[in-house]
Amino acid sequence: MTGQQIDHLVTMANQIALNFGEQRNLNEAARRTAEHLQKFWTPAMRQQLAAYAQAGGDGLSPAVSLLLEQQRSHERSIHS
Amino acid sequence: MLHYYEPEQDYGTPPVESSESVSLSIDGVTLAVPAGTSVMRAAALAGIKVPRLCATDSLEAFGSCRLCLVEIDGRKGYPASCTTPVEDGMAVRTQTPELAKLRRGVMELYISDHPLDCLTCPTNGDCELQDTAGEVGLREVRYGFDGANHLAAEKDQSNPYFTFDPAKCIVCSRCVRACEETQGTFALTIEGRGFDSRVSAGGVDFLDSECVSCGACVSACPTATLTENSIIEQGIPEHSVITTCAYCGVGCGFRAEVKGEQVVRMTPWKAGKANEGHACVKGRFAFGYATHPDRITAPMIREHIDEPWRRVSWDEAVNFAADKFRAIQAKYGRNSIGAISSSRCTNEEVYLVQKLVRAGFGNNNVDTCARVCHSPTGFGLKTTLGESAGTQAFASVEKTDVAIIMGANPTEAHPVFGSRLKQRLRQGARLIVIDPRRIELVNAPHIRADYHLPVNPGANVAVLNAMAHVILTENLHDVEFIESRCEKTPFEEWKAFIADPAQSPEALQQATGVDPVLLREAARLYATAGNGAIYYGLGVTEHSQGSTAVMGIANLAMLTGNLGREGVGVNPMRGQNNVQGSCDMGSFPHELPGYRHVSDAATRALFESAWQVELDPEPGMRIPNMFDAAVDGEFRGLYCQGEDVAQSDPNTQHIEAALGALDCLVVQDIFLNETAKFAHVFLPGASFLEKDGTFINAERRISRVRKVMTPLAGKADWEATIAFARALGCAMDYGHPAEIMDEIARLTPTFEGVSYALLDELGSIQWPCNERAPRGTPTMHVNAFVRGEGYFAVTEYVPTDERANRRFPLLLTTGRILSQYNVGAQTRRTPNSTWHEQDVLEIHHHDAQERGINDGDWVGIQSRVGTTVLRAKISDRVRPGVIYTTFHHPVSGANVVTTDSSDWATNCPEYKVTAVQATRVSEPSAWQARQQQFDQRQRQLLVEATMDA
Repeated sequence: MTGQQIDHLVTMANQIALNFGEQRNLNEAARRTAEHLQKFWTPAMRQQLAAYAQAGGDGLSPAVSLLLEQQRSHERSIHS
Repeated sequence: MLHYYEPEQDYGTPPVESSESVSLSIDGVTLAVPAGTSVMRAAALAGIKVPRLCATDSLEAFGSCRLCLVEIDGRKGYPASCTTPVEDGMAVRTQTPELAKLRRGVMELYISDHPLDCLTCPTNGDCELQDTAGEVGLREVRYGFDGANHLAAEKDQSNPYFTFDPAKCIVCSRCVRACEETQGTFALTIEGRGFDSRVSAGGVDFLDSECVSCGACVSACPTATLTENSIIEQGIPEHSVITTCAYCGVGCGFRAEVKGEQVVRMTPWKAGKANEGHACVKGRFAFGYATHPDRITAPMIREHIDEPWRRVSWDEAVNFAADKFRAIQAKYGRNSIGAISSSRCTNEEVYLVQKLVRAGFGNNNVDTCARVCHSPTGFGLKTTLGESAGTQAFASVEKTDVAIIMGANPTEAHPVFGSRLKQRLRQGARLIVIDPRRIELVNAPHIRADYHLPVNPGANVAVLNAMAHVILTENLHDVEFIESRCEKTPFEEWKAFIADPAQSPEALQQATGVDPVLLREAARLYATAGNGAIYYGLGVTEHSQGSTAVMGIANLAMLTGNLGREGVGVNPMRGQNNVQGSCDMGSFPHELPGYRHVSDAATRALFESAWQVELDPEPGMRIPNMFDAAVDGEFRGLYCQGEDVAQSDPNTQHIEAALGALDCLVVQDIFLNETAKFAHVFLPGASFLEKDGTFINAERRISRVRKVMTPLAGKADWEATIAFARALGCAMDYGHPAEIMDEIARLTPTFEGVSYALLDELGSIQWPCNERAPRGTPTMHVNAFVRGEGYFAVTEYVPTDERANRRFPLLLTTGRILSQYNVGAQTRRTPNSTWHEQDVLEIHHHDAQERGINDGDWVGIQSRVGTTVLRAKISDRVRPGVIYTTFHHPVSGANVVTTDSSDWATNCPEYKVTAVQATRVSEPSAWQARQQQFDQRQRQLLVEATMDA
């Protein structure tokens, strides 16, 4: 993963969350953003975003951070 | 469908729609016709031709030539059959000794002022005057040519496509009426009176006049007064083939009129339902690119883009490409290659490309140019209405009472629909234009928009929300429609959102830039004027909130009950000839044909069974994802069919870096376009005249494309893709595109009933075409939405990041003009460049004055990603703070300036808003200098290839 892609992925994810009403309903925006990424992003793009969040996630919007945290929790619960 | 050349049948006057039938007899033949039909048309329907010169069935009757006289029992005199409506029990005679005498007398007068040069006349054998002289039995002209006449009148040869020879004019006014009634431009008039009457293009020559070169006058002319130069040079055609235009998304039907394999004329097909006999300067005249010397007709390969091309056989080229692609996948993984399919190619061809990617490459990395134009339409309409397509037929506009034109410029970009719309507006329909720029429809001859809302670039969603707010809070919405047709909970949520005073025109004024009083009045008009139809274009979709704006449009239509019948609807004006089709055919990386998601196991199973491979259930890369990954070294091979991403996609320098980073770029095109200059393999493409297939236009109309000439490179594009697929070990066994369509129909419910046989029978079909709609579906969502109940999506306005600031105080927006098409690869290689030799920068005089810029000066346009230089054109079509240009010429570099800002849902680039600064400069930009150098080098490498062969 290099700068070019991740910069765009962060921008795109934040934009999606904002358009799903992040400022009105954080949880709903996180849910719909997750759905959108699952439907339209490649697994590699989703993984890159998750890895970026894991590494600190600088610049990720609250809804995107929330959905990635929820996904991490979900994965942890599967593996535990 | 090859026909020996014969002009299309002309019934003299237009058809009349009436539920009432009238019986009459003509020359002893009894027939029944709709009430209101002219005697002339009734006669033609009975197989009887009444001699005529000023009448033609594309124009209203005029009654001036006095040749179509008939006798009617019980009626005095000799009424003109073109202006006389049928009556019940009427008995008409079209041939009597008295009529013959009268007609010969009239004809004698016409011929006394007409050159008798039939044998050397360009329309010899295709001239109504000549035919009519024969029909009336003219044998002598008693008056001679010694008196005053017009035989020495000078020709006007200023137009590159047709010649006006006034010496041959009979002043029937058909050309003038065609310009008014059919095209709606009013460029022609009859100047002078009596003997001095003459057709005039407003006192100037045709080229300098208001004429838009649609050719309607040429089609209407009954003599050789207005004649195509191709006919003058090559003579009349010997056969014709019905096919479909390869320019914009209107998808006009044409008769390609041919001598041998050479097209000599494209005549708009009267039975073509998209255009009904009309055309524009591109479709009708600009077909010469198909045989332009720049066409590349041999496959070529090279290891590196700094090497000369090697011309090779098809086998060597596809094997070279296949070896490279397999090696890339072996080294970098299955997902390191992908393809871009062309919206200029046929459905069958784009279907094969996505099949090659899914079944051959083993991934879903396929995308198409809709990514950069109407992908938000797909997302927005699928979300709200359930289907990624427009809801109406073009003819629906004939029942529209109020039209909203938003972010579209039909008279330039979709001219044949533009003319149809103008006809309806002249009949009294109301018009609301929402556009930052004052497009022609705001104030055209005999048309004036009721409201022009000059929205700030980037604020479409705010305008749509404000309109919805007005309609809802003033109780102008259609409660019954919403309750019976739309989902309740989402509507309630949306209602709470939109009724909030924050969505009022006053609260949003700063964002929209629109006077709230005007906005309120416009909203009221749309909600209350009767049938309301919304037509929108790339000015809606190519924004960071393109998808939201499309949903806002659908919300407005549902709110007012303007869906599910004729005259209303949501109508995306599609840009390219087959952009609808390429989307329908599964060209998006997340959808199989018919807009079914790749994660849907049942759909995948259907294709897996047919193709005998396992399909990837995860979405693939979109075009921008491919380019980002290429720059990062993760995406290494691209098959690019008929798409010039190096010119058309935003942030050119980023695209060039991506293309330059690829290990193998395979370009399939008819010319060495800008993208091909970065290619390692060039597969020569075929123009629309060289293949069979189908296109789908903006109204979901599937129309046949028919082969007129042998592919210059030996293969049509579908055959080239098959060859590449086979080299990759991907089985594709098709002998004809009809077989591909049969497979599409088998695997796609909305195309279930489509076949070439049915297309031949019906002329064209609007999908869905299946058991429930065996002859197609002109109007969608009639009793229910495709998704069941309509969905009101909350459309929150989120301002774009591309905002004017101190460093970049202007907003650049881009668009198209009539004579050029998209990146200009086709039209720049035709005389259409007469009207547009270069892209210019439109700038308001306030902004120009502030910067010391004069008309014609070089202007540097700088954004955060790049700089380009264009000539200035001072214009009041744009408002202060907004500048505008087109992107038809590569050297203009309009996309050097546009950024990677894109639609949140689909990544459609925000071409319509770029924050820039403009300054007067003295030379081209550094990018332009580099581009010129690179272009020259690549042309040289092509010349060297040619010399090596």
